[in-house]
Amino acid sequence: MSKITQNSQRLTAGNIDRPLAAFRVVQATILISLFWKWEFFLQANSIYANIPIEDQFFPDWLRSVTTIRYAFWGSALVTGIGLITSISPLRKTCSWLGIGGISLMCIHQGSYNDMTFVTIWWCCLWSVWLAHRLDRDQKELLSRRAAFLSRLIISLVLLGGAAGKWTPEYWSGEVLYDIYFVDRDFWIFNYLRDNYEPAELQQFAKWYSRQVVVVETVSGLGLWLLPARWAALVSVMVLSGIVILSNKYLVSVVACLIGLACVGFFVPRRPRNTVVLRQPKPETAETV
Amino acid sequence: MIDSTDTSTNNENQQRDLGFCAIVTFVALIATWLLLMPWVQGIAKLSLQRFHIRTPSFAVWAAQFPIPSMYNFANQYKVEEFPPGFVMMILDENWRYANHFPARVITFFAGRYDFLSTQEDRWFTLKSSYRGQVLESKFHLEAQAKGGYKLFRIDDVEESL
Repeated sequence: MSKITQNSQRLTAGNIDRPLAAFRVVQATILISLFWKWEFFLQANSIYANIPIEDQFFPDWLRSVTTIRYAFWGSALVTGIGLITSISPLRKTCSWLGIGGISLMCIHQGSYNDMTFVTIWWCCLWSVWLAHRLDRDQKELLSRRAAFLSRLIISLVLLGGAAGKWTPEYWSGEVLYDIYFVDRDFWIFNYLRDNYEPAELQQFAKWYSRQVVVVETVSGLGLWLLPARWAALVSVMVLSGIVILSNKYLVSVVACLIGLACVGFFVPRRPRNTVVLRQPKPETAETV
Repeated sequence: MIDSTDTSTNNENQQRDLGFCAIVTFVALIATWLLLMPWVQGIAKLSLQRFHIRTPSFAVWAAQFPIPSMYNFANQYKVEEFPPGFVMMILDENWRYANHFPARVITFFAGRYDFLSTQEDRWFTLKSSYRGQVLESKFHLEAQAKGGYKLFRIDDVEESL
């Protein structure tokens, strides 16, 4: 019996469709990311309607608050349907509509700058791919590919963060000192401000910033090379650390990536001491 | 290390997976772009222009949206009540840093609320630097009688790209 067949039987025996479960986890975390932006949506809905900015750079419809309303709600709706449906064509359609709506958010005047929509977009791209493979591919191999793509995407996102920080202003801590240490209302920065002098805060900022640069660089360059489960564990730790040590608004940016990272946990463990028996070659005239 | 079964695109039980190949290729292209950014001035220039919404065309700007750029570059901004040249009555004398896309202080909901609620003209200056390259842009937000603002890019910008 081939190794693939053995693992396939194990998956069936466990009665879990691992790729589908992974797909649903990612859809759920996309919803968490979207609804963490709920306050943004409510305020944007009002402010964009009352303070429109006419800028010829953007097409009219990509400045309209109506577009954001449809894109945000539409994406949330189809992601929710994609999460619960067991009808394959509907799941595929929802995944395409989802990436369409989020693409609009990524280029709209009122939301282009928010990295939440970029990380969700990458999760949607992964979802489109997986939705089209769920009923076609052998489950274990599909789980492995899905996990590989997930860690490749997370590596890219972290590399994107790192590359823009390879500049002296980040190595000195100057940027993050001003953004976080001066007046950011978050537990770690409040604690440091209450207990240390400005000169000491600048030193903290320098090492904090260097830690960010190094972690993002190492993760961006190396995460995708790790085995699936290790990559998932490291990703969850790094992404959670970003939120715990930075600010709560980043939950929306990393929640969907944490879901994507968890795809690695759905890869079945390889059985230890598995012996793969080779089929004896049929005898041919040459070997006789 | 990476397992070849994770990345094989077809085998005896699988149909060829072009979607998988396409995504891997797409990721590889963007990773190459990012890794070249510190060394190729043109890439850094385009990325800085993207942050200031000053790319030559909307299509070129929009095409870059999948490139992740969390907390990229040293981005600063200041907001003034009077046009460049007036030294007095500055709303915020100090430059402040923005995490990414500094033009967000004009376009994003929080910036609009903070700086444009008064329905009076405002002048914004953005400055982004990356490994010695600097892009500075000025914007005039002109209050409109019907409500809202009209954005003008002031041509007198400083570049040392």
